[in-house]
Amino acid sequence: MTLELALIAAAALFCVGLYGALSQQVVVMVMMGLELMLNGVILAAAAFWWFLAPAPDGQVLLLVVIAAMTVEMAMGFAVAILLHRSRQTDMTEMASDLAG
Amino acid sequence: MPEAILFVVLAVIAVAAGVAVFRTDSMARASYALAVSFVAVGLMLLQFRLEYIGVITVLMMVMEMAVMAIFMIMFMGMNPALMPMDMVHSKKLSAGSAIGLFLLLTAGILLADWPESRGPAGGDLTASLGEAIMEPKMLVMLVISPVLFATLVSALVLANPRGRYSTYPLVPVEDADDDGQGKGQDHSGDSAGHAAHSAHGMDHGAGNSDGHGQHHGGGGHQ
Amino acid sequence: MSWLLILLIGLPAAAGAALAVAGAKVDRFAAVLSVVVCALVLATASAASALRPSLAAPFLAGSEFGLSVDALSALLLPAVAGVAFLVLLYAAASGIGTPARFHGLMLIFIASVLVTVTATTLSALLFAWEIMGAASYALIGFHWRESRRVSSGLTAFVATRTADLGLYLAAGAAMAAGAWSRDAMSLASLDSLPGPWRDIAAAGILVAALGKAAQLPFSFWISRAMDGPSAVSALLHSAAMVAMGGYLLLRVQPLLAATGWAADAAAGAGAATAVVLGFIAIGQQDLKQLLAASTAAQLGFVVMAAGVGDAAGGAAHLMAHAATKSALFLAAGAWLAALGTKKLADLRGAGRRWPLLGGAFTVAVLSLAGIPPLALWATKDNILTAAREHSFPLYITGLAGAVLAAAYAAKAVALIWKPVLRETESGYDTEETGSRKVTPWQLVPIGVLAAGAAVSGLLVLGTTGDTVRGVLGSKAESSPLELAMSGLLAVAVLVPVWVLGGKLPPLPGALSWLHMERAAHIVLVRPVLATARSLARFDDAVLSRGVEHAAEKVLHGARSLDRTDAALDHGTDAAAAATSRLAGRSAITDHTIDGAVSSLARSVRRAGAAARRPQTGQLHHYYVQAAAVIVVAAVLLIVVR
Repeated sequence: MTLELALIAAAALFCVGLYGALSQQVVVMVMMGLELMLNGVILAAAAFWWFLAPAPDGQVLLLVVIAAMTVEMAMGFAVAILLHRSRQTDMTEMASDLAG
Repeated sequence: MPEAILFVVLAVIAVAAGVAVFRTDSMARASYALAVSFVAVGLMLLQFRLEYIGVITVLMMVMEMAVMAIFMIMFMGMNPALMPMDMVHSKKLSAGSAIGLFLLLTAGILLADWPESRGPAGGDLTASLGEAIMEPKMLVMLVISPVLFATLVSALVLANPRGRYSTYPLVPVEDADDDGQGKGQDHSGDSAGHAAHSAHGMDHGAGNSDGHGQHHGGGGHQ
Repeated sequence: MSWLLILLIGLPAAAGAALAVAGAKVDRFAAVLSVVVCALVLATASAASALRPSLAAPFLAGSEFGLSVDALSALLLPAVAGVAFLVLLYAAASGIGTPARFHGLMLIFIASVLVTVTATTLSALLFAWEIMGAASYALIGFHWRESRRVSSGLTAFVATRTADLGLYLAAGAAMAAGAWSRDAMSLASLDSLPGPWRDIAAAGILVAALGKAAQLPFSFWISRAMDGPSAVSALLHSAAMVAMGGYLLLRVQPLLAATGWAADAAAGAGAATAVVLGFIAIGQQDLKQLLAASTAAQLGFVVMAAGVGDAAGGAAHLMAHAATKSALFLAAGAWLAALGTKKLADLRGAGRRWPLLGGAFTVAVLSLAGIPPLALWATKDNILTAAREHSFPLYITGLAGAVLAAAYAAKAVALIWKPVLRETESGYDTEETGSRKVTPWQLVPIGVLAAGAAVSGLLVLGTTGDTVRGVLGSKAESSPLELAMSGLLAVAVLVPVWVLGGKLPPLPGALSWLHMERAAHIVLVRPVLATARSLARFDDAVLSRGVEHAAEKVLHGARSLDRTDAALDHGTDAAAAATSRLAGRSAITDHTIDGAVSSLARSVRRAGAAARRPQTGQLHHYYVQAAAVIVVAAVLLIVVR
């Protein structure tokens, strides 16, 4: 249980999440990828905290990351609902209005 | 030693579950896999003596997966568990960038000169976390609370079926019509949703085996 | 209390300026307004005499604008204001063309006279003195359509103004001596100036006062001034303007006394004028010219009083003469308006035709002659007594002047009461068309003034005389013997001349005022004009020619510069043409430059089009780009730090 090991695990999670975010077509799957990335971030932060500076104040950062994840989920699902309601689709290709 | 082994096992489970999220055919299974990954990470946090945060993670993620499953059903159709799906685009690019990034990060991790630990963690970490967030880190609380509230409100506003601009109906739509018609409308709404799903190019009843082949019309990137 | 002074002066000044500026639009009520304003001025003047206010305002550097009512001005203010009021009443009653201009100018003149009477500093005095002169020019030449009247006004103005240079000289001397102290130019401190400055100041003031009071040698202008309207003569040339010359000398009498020679010069000039102008008056055939000469002669007495230090007698004589002479001038004006003539011979019998007017005229004439118990008899004697205490020859000269006064007064009145002859009527309407009417409102002011002429003798007699003398600090008092003797002498001269019908042998040169005006022209006017002409010739021949030469040279220089510039332009044009020809020959240069420019444009366009390509609108593309950028930035950060 060394720092490097934990960090490598976190990196692996992060990269898997990245693959998912980049490759999925359905909005919900993209969000799952993002979730995995944040997972990796949490693990990395906890590893840093445990191995380098285990002070009580450091845990607050983890709480902040969890809160960010929550917010992202909520807004993402709301936007997915809107997209579905207006365009009857859940594919990211259908939301390419920024093209040009 | 046992801790280390447990840790490695949990790590492997987490990563494998993460990979499984994207390899599986079923939406429901993808959600479950993600849940497993999060639970593994939560347990790893427990190993770090981050009891509060670990437990929170586990609880939250389980709930979230349930919500996500509901969304899957809502968007994707009635038979989530058995459909094969591989809806990806630019597979090579994304895989390549992910592997590349992993190699880069690993190199960085192994080559970096990590500083020494500042000392062991002491005391009741949960209590100390509570004290920290109530006293020196009160700002975090003060900021996160309104942000969460704003998220709540804005998510509701965005998801409101009436939308932001339509006027409030004087009489509820359901009461004005017959019950049968109201229900019929709901059904037609469902069938419209189904029809829209079929526009994705997925055959629900007859095309299970062709699920892979038929994607929605809009240019699938490969 | 200084508001009294401000009211006293500001009221006529403002009303006069308003009337003069408004012009013909206010003709209808100008006369009434001016009479009302003058009545208010009279009331204010009486109040000021009682309350003795004073006022000082900053004016020039080194001198204030100081006004105050002291003993001397307290006597004169009501007198001047009263005479002005009655004259304006007469003018309103008899009417005059363009009344707004007339009354406006009169009010402005009255305002400046009031400032002169109350001035305590030379700067205030000069200010008002000049305005008096300007107003008198406008008033004498009032009927400006007749050019002779305008030139009369100009003569009067230039003559008095030349004399006024003396006042400027005195002011300069006072300032040089006082060296910018606050009361350097106050009239009261003039006698304490150091040595030579005091003499210069006294000389200057003497000349100015003699000029204004029409004494010798300046007397010719008052003859020309008779061309003005009668009301103007009644105010300016009996009570206000010429009197101010005498008043100035009375006020600076301490200065004259301190500079011994100035007092003697003043007394001598006054006595000589009284005699010489008495002779001139006897030789006149025109009533107004006679009255003008007598004005100068009577003012000679006042100047003599200032010279011998009898301020009370001089002031009293001034006031009595004011009343007398304005009554006489107004009567002459009434006859002129009624009969159209002012020749003595043609006014025969005018007294019988309008008895009241004739009666008032007679009372005033008797006062002029010095018949007891009328005013000028007593005041003249007071002055003669003071002169006798000063020097006996002076006294004899003054007595001669008094005798001559009786003579010309008799001449003035002799024919009035005689019956009209047949040929008298042919002399009517020579100057203007007479109206053959004398309105009652014309009679009222003349009557009041004649009454004043009768009783002003009290100013030197009895208890009032003692009060006046005490207030003014004079000590001369005529004894009853002297008074009786002079009265007898006057009667003795008056009666025969009257009986003779005023026919007295004319003295040579008297009718033409001893040619004083021609003398002034030859001595002063012609040399000045000749100098001016020669200076103008010098300017044309020398100065402007020099300027023209310089201008020509400049123009030359500019032309040659222009030619040089044209040559330079030629050269530049040739060089430019050569360069462009040279450039045109190398098409390679053209191609290269153009080609470079267009290829640059093309590459920029391509870059712009390429910049659009990442914007696909696809979420995963954006993610990839974001991830790439963040990774590169992180690597850069780590490597650099």
